[in-house]
Amino acid sequence: MNNIKYYVLSAFFVTVGVFAQQDQEKKEPQQGHTNQNKFKQLYDEFSTPNMYRAASGAPGVAYYQQQADYKMDLVLDDVNAKLSGFETITYTNNSPDVLKYLWVQLDQNVRAKNSQSPLIEGSGVGPVSQVSTYANTYMAEGFDGGFNIEQVKGTNGKPLKHTINRTMMRVEMPKPLASGEKFSFSIKWWYNINDHVNGRGRSGYEYFKEDDNRAYVIAQFYPRMAVYNDVEGWQNSQFWGRDEFALPFGNFQVNITVPEDHILDGTGKLTNRKEVFSKDMMKRYEKAKKSYTEPVVIVTQDEVVEKIKTKSSKTKTWKLYAENVRDFGFATSRRYIWDMMAVKIGNKDVMAVSMYGKEGNPLWEDWSTKAVASTLKSYSRMTFDYPYHKAISVHAKQQGMEYPMICWNYGRPDKEGNYSDRTKFGMMSVIIHEVGHNFFPMIVNSDERQWTWMDEGLNTFVQYVAEQDFGKWYPAALSEGQSSYPSRRGPAKNITRYMGGDQDYIAPIMTKGLNTYQFGNNAYGKPGTALNILRETVMGPELFDYAFREYSQRWMFKHPTPEDFFRTMEDASAFDLDWYWRGWFYTTDYVDIGIKDVKKFYVTTKPNKAGSDIAKRYSLDEKELVYFVEDGSDEYTAGMKSESISEKSTPLKEYLMDNFSAQERAKMKEPKYFYSITFNKPGGLVMPIIVEYTYADGTNKMETYPAQIWRLNDKEVSKAISSDKEIVSITVDPKLETADVDASNNSWPKEVKQGDFDKFKNKVKN
Amino acid sequence: MKIIKTLLVLTVIISFAFVCVHKYYVSITKIEYVKEQKSVQIITRIFIDDFEKLLKERYDDKIILASNLDETQIDNHIKKYLLSRLNININGKESVIKFIGKEYDGDVVQCYLEIEAVENIKSFTIKNSVLYDMFTEQKNIVRTDINSKHKSFILIPENDKGMLNF
Repeated sequence: MNNIKYYVLSAFFVTVGVFAQQDQEKKEPQQGHTNQNKFKQLYDEFSTPNMYRAASGAPGVAYYQQQADYKMDLVLDDVNAKLSGFETITYTNNSPDVLKYLWVQLDQNVRAKNSQSPLIEGSGVGPVSQVSTYANTYMAEGFDGGFNIEQVKGTNGKPLKHTINRTMMRVEMPKPLASGEKFSFSIKWWYNINDHVNGRGRSGYEYFKEDDNRAYVIAQFYPRMAVYNDVEGWQNSQFWGRDEFALPFGNFQVNITVPEDHILDGTGKLTNRKEVFSKDMMKRYEKAKKSYTEPVVIVTQDEVVEKIKTKSSKTKTWKLYAENVRDFGFATSRRYIWDMMAVKIGNKDVMAVSMYGKEGNPLWEDWSTKAVASTLKSYSRMTFDYPYHKAISVHAKQQGMEYPMICWNYGRPDKEGNYSDRTKFGMMSVIIHEVGHNFFPMIVNSDERQWTWMDEGLNTFVQYVAEQDFGKWYPAALSEGQSSYPSRRGPAKNITRYMGGDQDYIAPIMTKGLNTYQFGNNAYGKPGTALNILRETVMGPELFDYAFREYSQRWMFKHPTPEDFFRTMEDASAFDLDWYWRGWFYTTDYVDIGIKDVKKFYVTTKPNKAGSDIAKRYSLDEKELVYFVEDGSDEYTAGMKSESISEKSTPLKEYLMDNFSAQERAKMKEPKYFYSITFNKPGGLVMPIIVEYTYADGTNKMETYPAQIWRLNDKEVSKAISSDKEIVSITVDPKLETADVDASNNSWPKEVKQGDFDKFKNKVKN
Repeated sequence: MKIIKTLLVLTVIISFAFVCVHKYYVSITKIEYVKEQKSVQIITRIFIDDFEKLLKERYDDKIILASNLDETQIDNHIKKYLLSRLNININGKESVIKFIGKEYDGDVVQCYLEIEAVENIKSFTIKNSVLYDMFTEQKNIVRTDINSKHKSFILIPENDKGMLNF
């Protein structure tokens, strides 16, 4: 029954073809060019698959990764805000290579007095300055940060030759480390802990003047092994302050000595709980292990208020042991309130934990632990069951930073305990995001120093899914009038301002994190949205989710590269995505698809001029053909609109009688309206064209033309549409799901849309 | 308490693993001359947290933006502040800028201002020192669409003026 449509349409295309040919004859001789097609395979961008990394995107047969195990004894000097440690690292060389030296990361050196980090930032002298800024910039001596490395020794007690190049330390081994061998050595160090609120930083302390106490959130505090792998060799790219970390997996045995009245939690299992918990805490902890809906408070606010009236001069040692983690972080203070709740993940229980000062309440006691539990469930569904035994959310001012099993999060009510929606959802979103980082990059351990988007982008994408779940599972967390969680990042329309913005300040996603403009949009917003669009609009959730889970599971507890991700998504879905990766990840192109022109035709047996010319040229009998006449053209006559072509055209009638049964003919449609629609693409990105056709009778139809429609012409494409009903309007991307940066060309007939300014002005007037 | 090189550290680690904190101080002002309406339409976008910090410091420590409460008083502060920090000179004359209002868009405050009864523009000068009193590394981007010509300026404290001649 479609044949009739094709019959007339093929004639339709012939005309177009002839015109195109005539055009070409007039052109001057042209120069050649290389393949600039948006659908060109990514062979130039991707490295060749090998034994370490397979073409499927999975780890190859010879895939290896190094291991670094740590034993650490740490002492916190709360009076002087100083942390000292003695650590023994056991490094296992699983690579096929012989290593002469090891590289150790000294991240604290970014705060050393001789740090070069401030020197790479531009600055200038302004006409005016606040006195505090002036004093701190030009007069004060500055913070004495950075590692003091007291010794680096082998297990035999002999010093090892080592060289510090800013934030990296090369340790030379007595003899080269062969494949499969282990090497143990120890480092003794200390550093002054920074104030992370006034000095800003991912770790440090917040000082509370009212009770003269500090809350410490401590991370990248110990000399950490660098990654050695098949892609980078040693990943010893310097730490400048913004780009994050690359770390190998290992087991951590850490003893932390802090004032006796401190409460501490960190990465790993607490192995001496009975020594550090009071009887009451023990009882509450047992209760929390069985509480799946409400958190149980282990250390109450009243107890904290009482406790901070004095300071203990005694100490206590908390012992933690963690297996298969890439890093270690902890938080400690006598000011912490502590609550916990169990959450079922697969067939095991995980503890969702929160630590916060009283200034976090009532927000924190109400929502932190529930947000942690909800996040673990959502992420486990999208990736793999959360493999660790707990996840902690610690409240710290202005922080949002992640470590294995523990993270710091902002969101604080005012002194009276009131908070705005912005504070509330900011707090919930940052908790969901940072807890989500347990999956990317703590477990799916990508190289953050190199590719910020690999953890931030993937995490921002899953964060969006988890936020929507959280709104559904905890409707009480939403504010009045809201029916779903107000996610900031994820929806396509939220990224259009960035992507359509000034090209001078946009970098492709595939740019080293340190060198990007608009870090948040570049490494979080755009990749997160790109994946959301890929899931909801391009691939569909079913194909996407299977492939995304496959990637997560293939690279769980391993070190993936961008290509491993790109390849796996195609490998597991049979969805050709080279064009998508190329456009969204390797360029700064944006989406802008519009309707350039719509022409309406009627079909008739009356030959038109162009039709008869073609018939003559190809020696066809013009009576054997049908003709399309444009609405309103000179050849158009009033009767054409109501003409029934299958009645009037004898050749067509005969063709139908010869080729179709009476039954088939009865089912045939008789289209009356023919449209030639030209879509243009001012934007560089190729995307599917999602079109909504609205008919005169008020009904409408959605049609999606796959992105490949652009493969032969990147500027514009035409589509012939036949219909028995008249089309009254056409809209491209009606649900704003492609991140089209300019919607003013998306409709036919053209809608005159009010600009932002006039819209607002009218709103204010009314 | 230890003294800290606030400025340096701010500049260095302007950036975090933060999900919700933007990493640089910038405002964007779009200026369009709509000849049919004889109107210069100005939309200024400023990050809520930066602006809130400034309003707290300058006017009232209790100010919370986007709190769902009545913001008439806040609007008065914003009006006063913006009009004192934004100077536009058209054809050699200082223009009178009208503050129309503001609305929130995600983590941004979008402020609407207008210059009325502009018959033509032969020369246009803008000085935008919004937030320079708060953040030394503040950048104010100004994009103009005047007489069908597009131009973009990045204004910094040391160079806070943009000039156009037609």
